[in-house]
Amino acid sequence: MPREAEPSQNEKDFILKAVREGHRLDGRALDQFRQLDLKFGDQYGIADVTLGKTRILTKVTAEVTVPYTDRPFDGIFTITTELSPMASPAFEVNRPTETEVLLSRLLEKTVRRSNALDTESLCLVAGQKCWSIRVDLHVLSHDGNLIDASCLAVVAALRHFRKPDTSMEGDTLTVYTPAEREPVPLSWLHSPFCITFSFFGTISIGEDGEEKDIWLLDTTLLEEQLRVSSCTISMNKHGEICQVAKPGGAPVEAVTVLQCSSLALQKVKDLSDFVDQKLAEDSKHRNKGGLLAELSAENAR
Amino acid sequence: MTTTTSGPEALLSHLHSADGSATFSYAGYTIIGAVNGPIEAQRRDEIPEEAVVDVVVRPAAGVGGTRERHLEALLQSTLRQIILVTNFPRALIQITLQVTVAPENEYVNTKVVQANTNLPMLPALIQTAVLALMSAAIPLTATLTSVVIAATTEDGSNRDIINPTAREIEKSRSLHVFAFTSHGDLILTQSEGEFTMKEWEDILASAQQQCCPNTSGDVNMGDDAATGADLGTFTRSVMEAKIASDLYWK
Amino acid sequence: MFLRVICSPQLPASSSQIGRKNLIWVESNGGRYIPAVGDLVIGTVHHSAADFFYVTLSDYTSNATLPQLAFEMASKKNRPQLHSGDLVYARVSLANRHMDPELECVSPSTGKAEGLGPLSEGMLYSISLGMARRLLMRKSAEEGKVVVLDELGSAGLAFETAVGRNGKMWVNSKDMKTVLVVGRAVTETDEKSLAVEQQKKLVRKLVKEMA
Repeated sequence: MPREAEPSQNEKDFILKAVREGHRLDGRALDQFRQLDLKFGDQYGIADVTLGKTRILTKVTAEVTVPYTDRPFDGIFTITTELSPMASPAFEVNRPTETEVLLSRLLEKTVRRSNALDTESLCLVAGQKCWSIRVDLHVLSHDGNLIDASCLAVVAALRHFRKPDTSMEGDTLTVYTPAEREPVPLSWLHSPFCITFSFFGTISIGEDGEEKDIWLLDTTLLEEQLRVSSCTISMNKHGEICQVAKPGGAPVEAVTVLQCSSLALQKVKDLSDFVDQKLAEDSKHRNKGGLLAELSAENAR
Repeated sequence: MTTTTSGPEALLSHLHSADGSATFSYAGYTIIGAVNGPIEAQRRDEIPEEAVVDVVVRPAAGVGGTRERHLEALLQSTLRQIILVTNFPRALIQITLQVTVAPENEYVNTKVVQANTNLPMLPALIQTAVLALMSAAIPLTATLTSVVIAATTEDGSNRDIINPTAREIEKSRSLHVFAFTSHGDLILTQSEGEFTMKEWEDILASAQQQCCPNTSGDVNMGDDAATGADLGTFTRSVMEAKIASDLYWK
Repeated sequence: MFLRVICSPQLPASSSQIGRKNLIWVESNGGRYIPAVGDLVIGTVHHSAADFFYVTLSDYTSNATLPQLAFEMASKKNRPQLHSGDLVYARVSLANRHMDPELECVSPSTGKAEGLGPLSEGMLYSISLGMARRLLMRKSAEEGKVVVLDELGSAGLAFETAVGRNGKMWVNSKDMKTVLVVGRAVTETDEKSLAVEQQKKLVRKLVKEMA
């Protein structure tokens, strides 16, 4: 039976002691993210996110289908996360682990339920035809902080994606292939990002015995195995909170959560700018010499 | 967007959590492979005298279906012949292959459920698996090279296309995949469509010439040889570069 | 005559393991640790039974056994108390493909520990198998071209290390920051494939940051 390796007692003691004194194994500050990188594929809707040694690949696909009968004016939008043995032999095919379930729930709440994607815009013929947008998330390498990296990858891939152009003439719906008409972007409303805080107990500060929670941002897998609880805050760059999740573990002071959310806003702004910049670079790269604009103008005729 | 003109590319040991990993791109496909092993097999799966080879193929979009299971079965039976399975009794060697880019047909809107053929992806999967196994330092008896060939009829004359594009496959009469060991032995052959035995033999000859140019008897380095890269030499040079970078300090 | 080339993380003592001649084993950096007799390893105690400790050498592999009497001066009445999660520095005394590996913390010829035994405190780092092999070389600076540890030592840091062939390195010091610096120096040298000069530069940088 494949089992996840448990860190030794020496590692546990040392890391906890170091974190209490404000040190991390890789020399980062407690609230510092690892090196973040985002690459887009040649095809639309592929985002490859690297955060330290964690690597996530997302792919977006679209197809025309029949809408749900109870929601005739909405398109279908699904996010699929399946952790393969590639990330760790502990993940078995078709047997979801707790990590996987938590990850997909959080993405669901952050991206889908916050209406980041306007599902009404996916409707083609009410009650008959709509777009089904599907995001597949693949964890290639797991070294902690899957949630933050996955959310960034999903958002980046969806914003990069272009779906085939369509037109309605009378009752006939035409879906154009990429060769006929340049595909169009999705109707995107806002970009939420997740920031996960990992708690490592409390230390007393000052002489009056006041206790302060210690937390880390962007934890590695080893740090994650040792944390006493975690809290994920999802918001967009305007500071609108989409969800706050604290799945069990040791209790945390309310003041700490408030402090965390204001720090989260700052981090979200950084991530948001990062994705904007990468998307701009990519579209510039694709649109060399304004050829794309010329082509799409020609096609529109 | 398929281009067969660019040569194969590979990146080895780039995923840190797996024992071995490789990304291979060629002929419009990009596949990431990871190998873990030898690790402990599940009690119900273990074989007393040899290692269990487990292959998982995952499509870029959608969950795997019968098409992936078919590819897994083909890969599993091929790879276990080159892995020294008797060296690791009761162990498990786990190979995960994640397709990241597959060629798209610009003239057809892709569906998530792809009902088309399985075979064109097979050579890229085999190549990735072999590279990932070498990156994981799993002992092998040989490396593999593989090729896909489509038999088409154009203006009444027959033509064999090596590494065909999605559009060429659609128009072809039959499609063939071959894999050869580095010793020049045929280890895998899969065909679909209509063809005669004579046609198959001709295609086998050109596949052999493509995959193992040094071992095949009649060398015809004329027009055909330029259509594909020599994957055997490629694997060798990737491995040389890997060993050199591992032993950079020597 | 063809030579069969086999890539493996380690060179076994005799190539007769496969039962064929004309065979070359090629050294490589990655892959999973496969126990071989005589290797020094660092393991984590998984659990203990009546006469044995079960020790994990690498993730997802079956545990190695360490007899409770395979320690210096151990007897039925006086045996070491190791708990789940403790680290132990041991030598592989039995390894074959059909059995789980067996470890010992005592030299069978002298009856002395010779540095083996439980490792208390400190920190365990994961390194590549190639790096472990280099650090375990008799002259790791000249043959293995790893000078970080020597450089750190001459920079005035006091620390002790133990290297396991299974890709583990244990570092301990009275000063926590020293452990962090040693760990970072070795893992960065390993991951970024640093040459001798770069290693010296890295050590200077880390020591400066620490002060």
